[in-house]
Amino acid sequence: MIFTEQIKADFNLYMAQAADDDFTRLRQHAYSVFEQLGIPSIQLEEWKYSNLRPIQQGQFTTSCVSKLDADSLINAGILNKIVANKLVFVNGCLFPELSIWLETDERIKVCSLATARKEHTALFDTHFGKYIDFSNDGLLALNTALMSDGAFVYVPEGISLQYPLMITNITDATEHNLFQQPRNLIVVEKNASASIIENYLAVGSYPSFTNVVNEIFVAENASLEHYKVQRAAGETYQTNFTQIHQLANTKINQVTLTLDGNWVRNNLHFFMNGQHCNSLLYGLYIPDGNQFVDNHSRVDHAMPNCYSDEKYKGVLKDHATAVFNGKIVVHEDAQKTNAYQRNQNILLSNTATINTKPQLEIFADDVKCTHGATIGQLDEEPMFYLRSRGISEQEARRLLLNAFADDIAEKIKIPELVSILESEIERKL
Amino acid sequence: MISITNLQASIEGKSILNGINLDIKPGEVHAIMGPNGAGKSTLSSVLAGRSDYEITGGKVEFLGKDLLELSPEDRAREGLFLAFQYPVEIPGVSSTNFLKTAINEKRKYHGLEPMEATDFLKFMRSKMEEMEMDKSLTSRSLNEGFSGGEKKRNEVFQMAMLEPKLCIMDETDSGLDIDALRLVSAGVNKLRNKERSFLVITHYQRLLDYIVPDYVHVLYKGRIVKSGDASLAKELEVKGYDWIKQEVEAAV
Ligand SMILES: Nc1ncnc2c1ncn2[C@@H]1O[C@H](COP(=O)(O)OP(=O)(O)O)[C@@H](O)[C@H]1O
Ligand SMILES: [Mg+2]
Repeated sequence: MIFTEQIKADFNLYMAQAADDDFTRLRQHAYSVFEQLGIPSIQLEEWKYSNLRPIQQGQFTTSCVSKLDADSLINAGILNKIVANKLVFVNGCLFPELSIWLETDERIKVCSLATARKEHTALFDTHFGKYIDFSNDGLLALNTALMSDGAFVYVPEGISLQYPLMITNITDATEHNLFQQPRNLIVVEKNASASIIENYLAVGSYPSFTNVVNEIFVAENASLEHYKVQRAAGETYQTNFTQIHQLANTKINQVTLTLDGNWVRNNLHFFMNGQHCNSLLYGLYIPDGNQFVDNHSRVDHAMPNCYSDEKYKGVLKDHATAVFNGKIVVHEDAQKTNAYQRNQNILLSNTATINTKPQLEIFADDVKCTHGATIGQLDEEPMFYLRSRGISEQEARRLLLNAFADDIAEKIKIPELVSILESEIERKL
Repeated sequence: MISITNLQASIEGKSILNGINLDIKPGEVHAIMGPNGAGKSTLSSVLAGRSDYEITGGKVEFLGKDLLELSPEDRAREGLFLAFQYPVEIPGVSSTNFLKTAINEKRKYHGLEPMEATDFLKFMRSKMEEMEMDKSLTSRSLNEGFSGGEKKRNEVFQMAMLEPKLCIMDETDSGLDIDALRLVSAGVNKLRNKERSFLVITHYQRLLDYIVPDYVHVLYKGRIVKSGDASLAKELEVKGYDWIKQEVEAAV
């Protein structure tokens, strides 16, 4: 059975036991949109470098079943040293044994999305599906129609999470091909703050396809640190769509680290729907071998006086391919917008490829927008300078690449994540 | 210390060093002077191991080893140090981390254990005091945003930290005002001792008022065309380089 037939069968199975309610109708609608749009093909301008054909032609099982026990998951490196609240999902389903809750304030609500729909129905209905628009996006529609489980996070007004919350997703492809669709919903209310880590890992050598959707809502005066750490090694395909909807006076730092994974496509969308928003979009990708990494981003400045600063950096080795496509849209009303964007790349081999494209669409007249992209090798001069002081070529390269990554690392407030980054750079060399 | 015999080098097929002969013994300070384009920086780059140049002839013996066979890092570990004419800025590499790495790589090469972090910091602090280095300089990224003078002082500070046997200084005086020149020279003079040798490259004589050399050589068109003692530098200051150029042209 090819992928879309499989989806159809899965959806019919779901419908056979679904209740007759709004949620089901939403999913039914999403499914019909997916039937029309399908998996994005490279004919679409936004997907021309990101080929999902192998997925379309593959056969995948959707199943929570995993023989992995807690110990082997810890050995897979789930960042057990980080002191954090933890939600662990395996193949899209909650794995309670490894989940940890440290907060004492009972007004905070963190659970699986499935639980939230039952126990926090009003909140769920207020926010679920309200910030994404799947009408033009087959993968968003597919996720909405047939999502696995995911995290539900609700930080009420005026409350700060005392510890970061780490949402770990583990792909277990040790027994068969795997398809999963994590779906996370994060709500940070007025004057609240949170630090959230999305953490991806994989074990097993069968192919897998993970289609993630994150919906994040940040209300007035709230702040959010959001990290995405992608280390799902093996025959993994991941599409990861993150929509952040922010209201006035919010401050958001978003850092995406794409370190491992055979094929990764990220879509990061910010919608600034209030004045004096301040958003940072930082990212680092260090693909090697035949890895493919595509970072698409879109920042909508819909209101005046907002600031966005985007910086993505890449170090590419071997036959790796990367794509950067950053779109800034300044709406007609968004006067006094400040929007910055940079994409900088170092190619360590002449068989690595980078496609980089900034897109500015500006409909207001009083704005400050800059963008720039660079592609180059490690500079000879600093290299020689370091070596002339007795530092080996290898060590000099390590120092220079860490220095290159430094302004991204600087934005990471969690030391364990910084050391992961450093050891990945070390390993990739 | 170092013995350079008939050294020839070219870049992009253009011959720049045309047979350099120079012998420096432990503790000696040699100055190389010469007009712009004579090949002074080329000589220092070739000795430090920059790969842009092709060595077309001659040999260099450094402390009993064939220098030209060694990688740049091994030359440094053997005790050669080049103070650059234009030190590069390296944002994101902390001065402290850089020096610790350099010292420990050298120790490893000589079969020594790495320095303990606290010992290293103590050592660095004492050297900073000795060389009158400001803390603000070593707490920053390597040379980042340093003024010309600060960069040159940082080169001399690195020299103090790495304790080389032969220091090559390429136009350390260029771009310095008189106060910075004094500071840099005072630093260098503190590092002079019976064992350590210096090769001081300069276009102007004024540096040699502060760092008094034992020998002065004039480099012109890739050759040492005249050698003498410190008084040769004075003579050049008065007469300029034209008379040397004329002498050379006349001899051809
Ligand atoms: N990278 C290079 N490429 C081409 N020519 C060079 C290069 N470096 C130096 N040269 C040439 O070599 C000659 C000597 O230069 P240099 O050693 O810098 O002289 P100095 O330091 O005495 O002023 C000059 O004619 C210069 O143009
Ligand atoms: Mg020069």
